[in-house]
Amino acid sequence: MFALTARPLQSVDLSPLIPDQLAGKSIAKIKAIELHCGNRSIAVEQLFKVSGNDSENISFLRSSNQLNFIGSEMSYGHIEIRGAVGDFLGKRMKGGRIHVHGNAGNWVGNGMAEGKIEITGDAGDFIGAARPGDQHGMSNGIICVSGNAGDRTGDRMRRGIIIIHGNAGDYCGSRLLAGTIIVLGIAGKLTGYGMKRGTIILGRRPKSIAVTFNTCGQLKMEFLRLLFRQLTHMGRQFKAFNELGPEVERLAGDFACGGKGEILVLQ
Amino acid sequence: MLIRLIGGKVYDPANEVDGEVRDIFIDNGKIVATPPHDRRIDKSYDIRDRVVMAGGIDIHTHIGGGKVNIARMMFPEDHRNDPVSRTTRTRAGCGHVLPSTPIAGYRYAQMGYTACFEPAMLPINARQAHMEMADTPIVDKGAYALLGNDDFLLRMFAANKDQQIINDYVAWIIHATQSIAIKVVNPGGISAFKFNQRKLDLDEPHRHYGTTPRQILRQLAQAVYELGVPHPLHVHGCNLGIPGNVETTLDTIEAMEDLPIHLTHIQFHSYDNEGDRRFSSGAPRVAEAVNRNSNVSVDVGQVMYGQTVTASGDTMSQYRNHLLADPNKWMCMDIECDAGCGVVPFHYRERNFVNALQWAIGLEIFLLIGDPWRVFLTTDHPNGGPFTTYPHLIRLLMDRSFRSHMLSQINKSAAEASHLTSINREYSLYEIAIMTRAAPARSLGLKDRGHLGPGASADITVYKDQVNKEKMFAKPEYVFKDGELVVQNGKIVKITQGATHCVKPDYDKTIERSLKRYFDRYHTVALDNFKLRAEEIKGNGSGVLAIHPCRTAKHA
Repeated sequence: MFALTARPLQSVDLSPLIPDQLAGKSIAKIKAIELHCGNRSIAVEQLFKVSGNDSENISFLRSSNQLNFIGSEMSYGHIEIRGAVGDFLGKRMKGGRIHVHGNAGNWVGNGMAEGKIEITGDAGDFIGAARPGDQHGMSNGIICVSGNAGDRTGDRMRRGIIIIHGNAGDYCGSRLLAGTIIVLGIAGKLTGYGMKRGTIILGRRPKSIAVTFNTCGQLKMEFLRLLFRQLTHMGRQFKAFNELGPEVERLAGDFACGGKGEILVLQ
Repeated sequence: MLIRLIGGKVYDPANEVDGEVRDIFIDNGKIVATPPHDRRIDKSYDIRDRVVMAGGIDIHTHIGGGKVNIARMMFPEDHRNDPVSRTTRTRAGCGHVLPSTPIAGYRYAQMGYTACFEPAMLPINARQAHMEMADTPIVDKGAYALLGNDDFLLRMFAANKDQQIINDYVAWIIHATQSIAIKVVNPGGISAFKFNQRKLDLDEPHRHYGTTPRQILRQLAQAVYELGVPHPLHVHGCNLGIPGNVETTLDTIEAMEDLPIHLTHIQFHSYDNEGDRRFSSGAPRVAEAVNRNSNVSVDVGQVMYGQTVTASGDTMSQYRNHLLADPNKWMCMDIECDAGCGVVPFHYRERNFVNALQWAIGLEIFLLIGDPWRVFLTTDHPNGGPFTTYPHLIRLLMDRSFRSHMLSQINKSAAEASHLTSINREYSLYEIAIMTRAAPARSLGLKDRGHLGPGASADITVYKDQVNKEKMFAKPEYVFKDGELVVQNGKIVKITQGATHCVKPDYDKTIERSLKRYFDRYHTVALDNFKLRAEEIKGNGSGVLAIHPCRTAKHA
């Protein structure tokens, strides 16, 4: 357990504090781990009060939005965070579960390959997206945001599911390569801009859609029943899915990029 | 201040000292002979049982200039995955295969290297390259100006201009770019690529200018020789990376007759096309030719496994390689019609037949060339691998059982196809000192570097003598730069600013008249702005320009 004792002035890279790296380490050793803070290095004990002995279940208390890269590249275990978190939560994670009781910054689940991230508050821009230089965004796993999401949700995402219970910002699912994005609130401008394949499921018709999307009319899509039933098994917060689908308005696009993707607006 | 290093085992090939125990005295940044007994020693270091060498010199490492920056921009993941924190002395930075400029300086110093030479500085990029090198602390640096694909020179070749005029132009470029030597990359080939030629053999004429690589090489080598520039023409030849290019390399050596020439990253030019996969080692033939021709020196450009980025001016070969890009992104571009730039990321894998054989070919060249004075240790950083792999490479050369062990890990067919198993040679510390210190200094004409005799600048590296040579060379105990202790046990203890080495050959200044006309008509900058002045290198007083003498000019 890591309880933040001093609010860091600059962003801190917490990527060494994952179950994979803490396993078998004594408290003294963990306290001495060096973290990048701004352009300097500081020891864990300068920021956190460290206690407990279960390296598989890590919790961060009184977390701050300056704490970046939490759960980066973790492959198993559970990280629970009380308070806000910074950017790059669960970057390239390969398994395990992260639960945030608060808001998250930008780039949640950047390049994640497996695992599950739950955020009870809002999340920033670029959820599950590809960072400049990367070939694609998240390649599998589930990200679930109970609040609202920022812009560019799922930009260049490759596989996996992103669920936003609230509203999504502009360019939701832009340049989507494949995968599923579900937004139960309102999505912002130019949803699905430049998407190649993949599915964006919306609770309501978005503010605007690019002219390169074609409406295919009202359809009954049976796969939604299967998808939603599967989701309801995953936890209480997914109960709402019981009453949704399978009738949708289907929009195919983006025809500027092949047009194999679809936006499904739930009726 | 008089410093005494007591009782180290000194390896100083330039002065034929092979492991003798002796004291070294440093006075005001220079190594001096034993001073009189009554002089007070200000500081002494007890380095008994330690190995003492001059500071390392890397003759070919891409640490500045346009292509490195393009590679940095294209490869942000290399930077964000390797952040380096600021300390009280050192600056923050990042990057593994393409470290940011200060980090490159620190890492070189931490390995005991005290001088690095950027081998492919486009004249138009000279200002940027020198600025980056000025931002690389501790180590000395220098750059080779890139010629052989620039429009002005090719026009002169096409018009059959007199050798004397070409000499003047080459000397003018050396002056204008504050460089120490001349490099040619795929002679004429980068230009030919822009005229839609995808291949240019040694005797293939350029579609537009009608020149052949042979002519360009000969005349440039002649120019460099006649101007008395100490370092021979630094040649990145034709057909880089093509199976069967060993023939071109041998022809190139043949074509030079007795002119001195330095063939760079020769590993990439030593491929034969025998066997089932039409890819085999041409290293024995190249090594034999190098052994026979004393006018030829080489550096290897060893391939080391792992992720790296290849950054080269050779757009022709980089375009050919782009299908192998890993991760899949690449770029090729023209730079001001002077040459080009291609950046392709590579991941060398030991299980891959081609990569594994490339690795073996590099080692074969190291081990089959008899004279360590003519083969230098490089990985063509970052093209074959980052310079931080040098200690591992040194261990491969010095430790046969380690080499056999590594050979057993690589692709089986590649291991069978290579000649490595039959080579028993192990490099000695003396030979390593030659190839990483004495020989590069001699080749570049640095009289006061690369040795430990009186009068030399006190660039000294002190290693703990260990059986594991990788560990030994990765972390020297002390590194002195110009007499100041800069690294102790792998930690930077002082930041200094190294000198920029250059040469200033004599030439006829009337060449500027025709250059002025050319610049006014075609160039993007005015002639006066193109020239890099000595004051710019000196900057705000932190930079030093070290001018080395040319050989007495010899005219044909």
